[in-house]
Parts: sequence; C-alpha cells; structure tokens
Amino acid sequence: MASIALPVPAIQALQVVTIAAAAPGVSGVIARAEARLQGRRGPRVLQPYYDLAKLCRKEALAPEGASWFFLAAPLVAVTCYLTVPLLIPVLTSYPLPLGYMGDILGGGFILALASFVVAVAALETGSPYAQLGSSRAKTFAAITEPVVLFVVFTVALITGTDLPYALAATVRSSAGQIVRPAHLLATAALFMVILSETGRIPVETHTGTNEFGMIEEARPFEHSGPYFALLKWGSAMKQLILYTILANVFLVPWGLAATTRPADVGLAILALLGKALGIGLVVAVIDNSFAKLRLFKITEYASAAFLLAVLGVFTLYLGGG
Amino acid sequence: MAGTGLPGGGVAALAAAHPAPSVFGGSANVVAVLVLLLEFGMFRQALLRDQIRLYAAQSAAISVLAVIIAAARDVPQLYVLAALSAALKVVIVPVLMRRLLRGADGEIAGSGALGLASTVLLAIAVGAFGFFAVGTLGIAGVTLPRTALGLAMAVVLVAFVLMIVRRDVVSQAIGFFSLENGVSLAALVIAARMPLILAVAFLFDLLVAVIVFGVLIRVHHGRAESLSTAGLTRLRG
Repeated sequence: MASIALPVPAIQALQVVTIAAAAPGVSGVIARAEARLQGRRGPRVLQPYYDLAKLCRKEALAPEGASWFFLAAPLVAVTCYLTVPLLIPVLTSYPLPLGYMGDILGGGFILALASFVVAVAALETGSPYAQLGSSRAKTFAAITEPVVLFVVFTVALITGTDLPYALAATVRSSAGQIVRPAHLLATAALFMVILSETGRIPVETHTGTNEFGMIEEARPFEHSGPYFALLKWGSAMKQLILYTILANVFLVPWGLAATTRPADVGLAILALLGKALGIGLVVAVIDNSFAKLRLFKITEYASAAFLLAVLGVFTLYLGGG
Repeated sequence: MAGTGLPGGGVAALAAAHPAPSVFGGSANVVAVLVLLLEFGMFRQALLRDQIRLYAAQSAAISVLAVIIAAARDVPQLYVLAALSAALKVVIVPVLMRRLLRGADGEIAGSGALGLASTVLLAIAVGAFGFFAVGTLGIAGVTLPRTALGLAMAVVLVAFVLMIVRRDVVSQAIGFFSLENGVSLAALVIAARMPLILAVAFLFDLLVAVIVFGVLIRVHHGRAESLSTAGLTRLRG
C-alpha cells in the first residue's frame, strides 16, 4: 500500500518535541488529580504552561559572586533532558538512527549530568537552602544508584544487551516474559526509584516549601526569570522521561508505532500521553495515601527497592526466573 | 531501517539471552517471590497484629501456590492440602496468636538489634547464601522450576534472621511459623506428590509449635510483665 511515510529523522525529532511539549501538561494533570484527592479544586491543567510563560517574561538575576556557570547550568540541564528522548523508545518500537548512541547506562549518565550541573549551580550561590537541597539530592542519589544498577543488570541478563529497545521487544514477545518474576521485580524497583526521583515518596512534598522534606525543590531557589522557567520545565521533562522509560520499556511497551506512517506515529503520541497520565494518576494516589517519612528513614525505602532489584537478579541466576 | 545497522528484526533476535519460563513456571515463581517478600515485610512491621496479618497473607500465598500446582500438574491431593493448610495457617493460628495477645499490653514489637536498612541488607546477604547454596546442589523439582526451591531456602534463612534480630516473643514465634512456611514451599517444589498423610502430619507439627510458643509467650508475659526478651540477657542469681 502506497502511503506517505515520515522521514525517520523527523520521527526522532518528534520524540523530543513530544516529551518537551507534553511534560508540563502531565505535571498539570497530576497536580489537578492530587488536589481533587485532597478535596481541593486545584489549579488548571494548563497552569504549568502559564507559569512558564510568566517566568519567561520576568527579569533574570544572579546572586552576587556567582560565576557564568550559574546561568549556564539551566541551559545544560535542559539540553541533557532534550537528549535523552533520542535514546529511548518514545514513539516507535523500532530503533531510530540515533537510538544506539547510548544504552540505558548512557541515558542514566545524561540524566545524572543534568542533576550534577544544577547541584553545582546551587553551590555557586552560597544560599543555604539551595546548598542543602543539592547536598541532599546528591546523597540520596548515591543511595538509589545501586537499585538502578541492579535493574540494569536484570535487563542485561534477560536480553543479553542493555538497550531499552531490546527489552521492550522481549516483553512484547511472549506472556512468559511478562509474568517472569525478574521482570516484575525490576519493574517494581524502577517504579520505586521513579517515585523518589520525581519527589513524591518517601520524604518530599512535591509542591510545598517545607524545608524538612525539601530535596529537589530547594535547588533552584536562587534562579529567577527564564532560567528558573528552564529548571522547572526540565524537572517536568525528567518526570515524563522516567514515566516513558517505565511505560514503554518495562510496563506496557504496546501501542508504539511499528511503521513510519503519520497515522501510526500520531496514535503512538496519544498512547504515550495516555500511559503517562495513567502512571501519573497512580503516582498521585500513592503520594496521597502514605504518610511522608522522616528524612533519615529514606534508607529504609531505598533498602526495600534494593531488595526488589537484587531478588530480580537472583531469580535469574538460578534460571527460569 | 536504513542506516541504523540494526534493523527492527535485529532487536528480537538479540532478545534470547535468558529464555523465558513458561507462563505456569513464571506465575509459580512470582507467588514464591511473594512469599519471600512477605517474609521481608515482617522486618518492617512494628505492630504485632500487623505481623500476624502478614503471616496469614504468607500462608495464603502458599495455599494459592498449592492450588496452582494441583491444577496445572494434576495432583488432586494438593487441593486437600491447600484447604487444610489454609484453614490452619490462615485462620486458626492467627486467631490463636491474636487471642494470646489480647491480655498483653505491649502492642509494639521490641526494636530490633539492628536498624531496619541494615537488617534488610543482612537478610539479603543471608538469603543470597541460601539461594546460591541450593543452586549448586543441582536439585531439580519435577513440579516447579528450580528458582522456587532457592526462594524457599531464602525464606527459611531470612526467618532465622527475623528470629535473631527481633527482641520480642511474638516476633520470634511468627518467625518460627513463617520458617515452617518456607519448608512447606520447599516441600511443594521437591515433593509435591508425597502422600497426603505425610503432608498433614507436617502440618500438625506446626500445631505443636504453636502450643509450645503459646505457653512460652504466656509464661514469659506472666513473669516479665512484657513481651520483650531484652531483659532476659541480664544475669539473675
């Protein structure tokens, strides 16, 4: 059947555009759902877009003594977040030309680089809150890092590679792949990491300015204007990227476009949004059903996620897992 | 896809490093993993009542596994065993334990000898030892995949860690009962077709343990006015 086919590079660019454009909206839906769960009316779904637009019109200031790095950091961070969607299956089930530029670890490194430059910029300011946030973020990232590593090991043992496309294809291949405990355990561990990385559970309050549970939210304290907008947009993109990895690689790698036809790609965009919103609603429910832990209890949460990931590797070693 | 070097079919070809188990094997393993995770959950529970609830859930998972095997492998006597073990371990033992706790005022389990995160890491290490020890033995069950046997061994060893780390009588009793769950799991893997009378006899062993622990809890509570065993290390004389 002769039909219009999108050029492959265009699809790849569309992956980045989809993530960048949809990220604030997904955050908006989650914020709305959260408000409804708490019996409030909540902000408009499009509120994050208005916030970004408003911030972009404001003046940008830097603290006295901060170097050029302070202003460069948001740009670097957003560039990192725009790079990751090139590497992961966002819209297509087949690998795109730049998809093999980096594996899961490569994507992880780029996400870590973004978080690192923001932390360094926070240190530049000399502001206690921003420093507290970046110090905490780095400490707890070191605790959740082993979990991510073991999830990657599980993927590597199942597929023999650590390419996200390969795992998605494996999961689609048979029902036995879905119910095997290693897959379920790795998915659950990754979900727990995502919950803590996006600032939901166990200690952070996502929107508030409560200093006890402040990790990610404290870091951009000193940024303002368009730079602050970039950081906010970046953290929304990070959330959507993590949701995409969870959905399209581990949880439900169906509904991706198998061809280059515009209709299929369009359906894949809708499917991605549906999946991300589904995960977001689940996250909102979880976020509102558990009490926040005290800060030093974060190791208990991390140890539970670590247990799941390690068990996943163990069951694979004895075969049949 | 021109220019990628790895066409779409290449991905599927790559994906065969660890062959997937059958759906039956996979779901049986998932239930076995669930049993182990519930064992780990007991570390987290501070309320004794919740710990008993976890034990009941774990026993229910074992019964479900027995039913799965009975249906998939055509072993009818396992239905009877599942029903008996559910009646005993999901209903009778938890009810008895709760009745024993009714007189006791200490609702909160004594804190462990280690912090929670350290305990979990220790238990992971101990469980891993059991897992790999069973792996080297090369025992293969006929009814269940080998993974479940390793998980059963891990349940037994982690139950030991629970009994050692916790400092209250009820947690130690629950640890012992859940150890028996691990043994039941191992029995399902290796000897699912063993005669029903033997399996039931093992279940009655548990009943003996419940009575012994019940007396122990009563006596200890009567003497020490508490469920904690921390005071027992002091020398008396």
